[in-house]
Amino acid sequence: MNNGAQDKRCEIWAIGGGKGGTGKSFVTSSIGTHLASKGNKVVLIDADLGGANLHTLLGVSKPRNSLTDFFEKKASLKDIIVNCGIPDIGLVSGTLSSLDSENIKYAQKLKLFRQIKAIDTDYILIDLGAGSHNNTIDTFLLADKMIVVTLPEITALENMYHFIKNVFFRKLKIILSAHGLKDVIQDVWKNRDAHGIKHLKDVVEHLMGTSVHIRDIIENELATFRIHIVLNQVRSGREIMVGASVKSVCLKFLGFDAQYAGHIEYDETVLRCINKRLPFMLTHPFSHVAKEISKLTENLRDGRQITVTADKYANRRL
Amino acid sequence: MPIEDYKKYFEALELSPDSQLSEVRNSYLHLKSLYSNDSIVTSAIAYELSEEKRHDIVEQVEEAYTKLIDFFENKGSDPAGSKKPSFVVGEELKQYMSGMTSFSGELLREIREKLGVNLKDVAVFTKIRKQYFEDIEREKFSSLPAEVYLKGYIMEYARYLSLDPEKVANDYIGRYRSAMKDKGKQD
Ligand SMILES: Nc1ncnc2c1ncn2[C@@H]1O[C@H](COP(=O)(O)OP(=O)(O)OP(=O)(O)O)[C@@H](O)[C@H]1O
Ligand SMILES: [Mg+2]
Repeated sequence: MNNGAQDKRCEIWAIGGGKGGTGKSFVTSSIGTHLASKGNKVVLIDADLGGANLHTLLGVSKPRNSLTDFFEKKASLKDIIVNCGIPDIGLVSGTLSSLDSENIKYAQKLKLFRQIKAIDTDYILIDLGAGSHNNTIDTFLLADKMIVVTLPEITALENMYHFIKNVFFRKLKIILSAHGLKDVIQDVWKNRDAHGIKHLKDVVEHLMGTSVHIRDIIENELATFRIHIVLNQVRSGREIMVGASVKSVCLKFLGFDAQYAGHIEYDETVLRCINKRLPFMLTHPFSHVAKEISKLTENLRDGRQITVTADKYANRRL
Repeated sequence: MPIEDYKKYFEALELSPDSQLSEVRNSYLHLKSLYSNDSIVTSAIAYELSEEKRHDIVEQVEEAYTKLIDFFENKGSDPAGSKKPSFVVGEELKQYMSGMTSFSGELLREIREKLGVNLKDVAVFTKIRKQYFEDIEREKFSSLPAEVYLKGYIMEYARYLSLDPEKVANDYIGRYRSAMKDKGKQD
């Protein structure tokens, strides 16, 4: 991937999704392993500062360095990338000794983002924690590809919708601020009753109606804003359709594009591997799960998505 | 069809305007089932999704599908090049068919054979798997897909045989439902 393309900027993928335990870290480590196996240099960053465990999924018990060194000892990011035993994968561990993730200062956050973008590699994958805290969302927005990992479960879907709505609003806010329109969204939302606004899409439509300038800004944003969906822990053919349905809901009710990158079946071997600190993709390269992860990684890389048709899946068993 | 309408219909079905007939059908079946019924995907965002809006979507999807199917049939512009069925329905058979009110799988098979078409032709034309038509004719209800999909297939099949799609589907689905209910009781 490096050959010839000298000024090729590396691609940043962020993996989030709102709910805890959906498999964000598992997916991050597996996608990373697949990319590396295809000859890419990959750096994984554990941005789940409150519950860092990406190192465990990669088979590292105690990372030599971590973001503590960055935040507390002023180490530079590139110096705290540790080897994790898998060729071409570097890890920035998130384990923190004392610092509370929500109290990271704004300046530190910017410095971290700057240094992430400066890492010399092919792919940077950022594993986010659960929840929709602003620090989490801002890290998510750093990415070229924003990936959500969700499950065919109502609570996971609820949190995911909440998360991506927040991401979208935060992005709009940032874009509008950059155009000197700092408070328009908050103002509209505060006065939503007066404007007859109930839904997210109404806010966007209202804003678009306020001026041509604002409409252009938002339309521009909508044209490029894209969420990639990974549906994890799938147990039946019918559940595979959930990803396609979520995609439709995003378009029709939230007003932006979502792509269904792929799905991963539920397999108890995943847990067994994690408990033994074995990287699943390396120990089970021929498993169905590994194949699904390879496929969805390539879809993400090439900007493709899957189309699933109900007639094939509705009654199919896995 | 005016180009704006054409675009609007494809948009309602969340497809690009170069999509094929089979994609139009698949998307229609999926969206109709998604917004006509409750599922975890819609319940999880119920606060953004009023009944009224859902109803509107189902209507838009229905309209888009009907219009696009008409368009494909008249223009024959499906890129895969499916042609009109190649048989001609004789006057006598037409009369006979228009008097029918009940459409069992057996009867559908009879009509098909009278028209001299085999299931492979139907499958190629509709881009629906042959297996489904076999099961429809044999009324193997337990192997058939969920009702919304089944209904779509029967309508396509009826349309292919120059029968009234709604009439055939309603009759067939009626029997399908009571059979499934009985089965439910047994289990
Ligand atoms: N495809 C799968 N099949 C079976 N189990 C899975 C699968 N994916 C994830 N799991 C299980 O879910 C657990 C949680 O996964 P993981 O730690 O990756 O979630 P997470 O979203 O990163 O959680 P957190 O929000 O706490 O960071 C894993 O320990 C594993 O047991
Ligand atoms: Mg995690």
